[in-house]
Amino acid sequence: MAKVSVILPIFNVENYLREALDSVCGQTLSDIEIICVNDGSTDSSLDIIREYEARDNRIVVITGPNGGYGKAMNKGLDAATGEYIGILEPDDYVVPEMYGELYDIAVKNDLDFVKADFYRFTRNENGEENLTLEKIGKNFNKYNIILHPCDDPMCVKFTLNTWTGIYKRAFIEEFHIRHNETPGASFQDNGFFFQTFAYARRAMIVDKPYYRNRRDNPNSSVMSKTKVYCMNIEHDYIRALLMRDREVWEKFKYVYWYKKYMNYMFTFQRIGDEYKKEYLTRMQLEFKRARDKGELSKDVFSELEWNKINSLIKNVNSYYDTLRSAKFFRKIVPYIPKPVKRGILKVMSLRKGR
Amino acid sequence: MYSKKVSIIIPVYNVVKYLDKCIESVCAQTEKNIEIILVDDESNDGSIDVCRRWAEKDDRIVLIEQKNAGAGAARNTGLRAAKGEYLLFLDSDDFFEPDMVEEALKSIEEVNADFVVFGSDTYYMDKDEFIRNPWVLNKKHVPPYMPFTHRELTDNVFKVFVGWAWDKLYRTEFVKAHDLYFQEQRTTNDLLFVFSALVLAKKITVNDKVLAHQRRGGKESLSVTREKSWHCFYDALTALRDRLVAENIYWELEQDYINYALHFSLWNLRTLAEPTHTMLREKLVDEWFESLGIKGKPESYFYNKGEYADYLELIGEK
Repeated sequence: MAKVSVILPIFNVENYLREALDSVCGQTLSDIEIICVNDGSTDSSLDIIREYEARDNRIVVITGPNGGYGKAMNKGLDAATGEYIGILEPDDYVVPEMYGELYDIAVKNDLDFVKADFYRFTRNENGEENLTLEKIGKNFNKYNIILHPCDDPMCVKFTLNTWTGIYKRAFIEEFHIRHNETPGASFQDNGFFFQTFAYARRAMIVDKPYYRNRRDNPNSSVMSKTKVYCMNIEHDYIRALLMRDREVWEKFKYVYWYKKYMNYMFTFQRIGDEYKKEYLTRMQLEFKRARDKGELSKDVFSELEWNKINSLIKNVNSYYDTLRSAKFFRKIVPYIPKPVKRGILKVMSLRKGR
Repeated sequence: MYSKKVSIIIPVYNVVKYLDKCIESVCAQTEKNIEIILVDDESNDGSIDVCRRWAEKDDRIVLIEQKNAGAGAARNTGLRAAKGEYLLFLDSDDFFEPDMVEEALKSIEEVNADFVVFGSDTYYMDKDEFIRNPWVLNKKHVPPYMPFTHRELTDNVFKVFVGWAWDKLYRTEFVKAHDLYFQEQRTTNDLLFVFSALVLAKKITVNDKVLAHQRRGGKESLSVTREKSWHCFYDALTALRDRLVAENIYWELEQDYINYALHFSLWNLRTLAEPTHTMLREKLVDEWFESLGIKGKPESYFYNKGEYADYLELIGEK
């Protein structure tokens, strides 16, 4: 049994794939299995995979028609045989010591999963890399200690991603943790993330960055109408999973709504202006319903977030206007002299307190 | 497995004045692959002759005659006989748009839903007016994407769609898999069926187009019917709760259920004439408010504070 199975879900990434494969083939930990799941690529991605397969017998290739991210990931999870499982997006790459060091930590501490900080990077035309450190514990600062996520729901405040760590395969199989396979859906890593936290007994987050996440093509803010609600649909899926067991839901419902709030606000920033009002209106209805059912708790939110949620529930129109003027304010901030800025901030904080 | 696309089940009981228009609008559906199951519940006003006449004209009509047992039993009879992939339960005094079946089918097949709720309005005969009631299909609380489940509704799940069967098209496989049936009682015999389907469905969808017209303002007034069956609503509510408990989903729906139980109790009381009105009020106050779980809940438990105030008044605490 390999120590770590690394899964790459691959769809049309010919420009980046070699860098990803080189980084995983060159790991200091050699006892690994590299599972390339080709999700019906129409560029030369499959040729590149075959080329690597021919010279590295640790590579396992699975190929099939396009079925979406969730389905490709699940094929990889089904095929994995390693003791632990890692996920590498094929336009990202990892530093050589990543899987070796994480594996040692996981085994030493008998962890269901271990995750780490990471870098986002961009590259200019000269190939110079610009790195930005991402602390995944910025909202929940508990590093390098053994966590018990299934009994400590606040752990889901760690930044959401699935690829900065490794998961014990026995743990993944015990709870049959998989991705949502709905065709055309997005953000299918959210459900995977939530399940790993809802069920893990022992986990650790280390404060050393290994993973390099590409930010060359920041996602466009233009989204089609059906894509607008993808985040909502993924959260419907997560709720259905958590509600399979009343005890799990009772434990996780407050942080479920916390994560939902963060992700909805993220979506609100991304979608086109023509959808923003409609999106907030749906969000208001969902959060009002949650409040009426006693599923919102002040304890998991910061005071500012809690005030925002309540003003959204109270009046979606004025909340929308506030967001719009805040955006305008941020835009002109650099041009405002300091004393004036202080005055405005003072007035705004007074308004919030009302 | 299914020899027809849609089985349309229509219980018939003493509706001779309106039956022609009902059957005519069903036979004229643009979707032709249908069977029309007329279940006569021992009418004595000549309705059966109307049914026979239509059955001779259109060989898609299946006529079943049964001893008087009520609309619930008649629907179950039709359900057992149905050969269609989808099921539609209509009322024999209503009438329908020609593309009702076609449109409903389009929506349900588009997302492979367990059932589709479609738009309808009420036809007031005395005023010759069509009026759309928002509480029949409360679009505001339906998600902007299809399909969805009851958990995505943003109001009490028992109040977003009304608990009657005729504005919904059901997938037969879904109905059979969950052994859904109509209660064989005089009134409120469809609530259990409709609300069980609502909370059990993995995929629900909506077609907002007005496809059916419910006739009102000429038939025997409901409150008179319910003089003899004033307890049926309570029997429907308790049967629904039993089902929710059996499905292990009562825990997540209890608050919605109790709120709806209060809402529905108040509506029944309000629309019932004396002397049954007083009888029901006493029963609610002495027994049913407690057995339905309403008694003892704090004000914050109730979504509609007006209904809670009405409750307090009834039990004499206001």
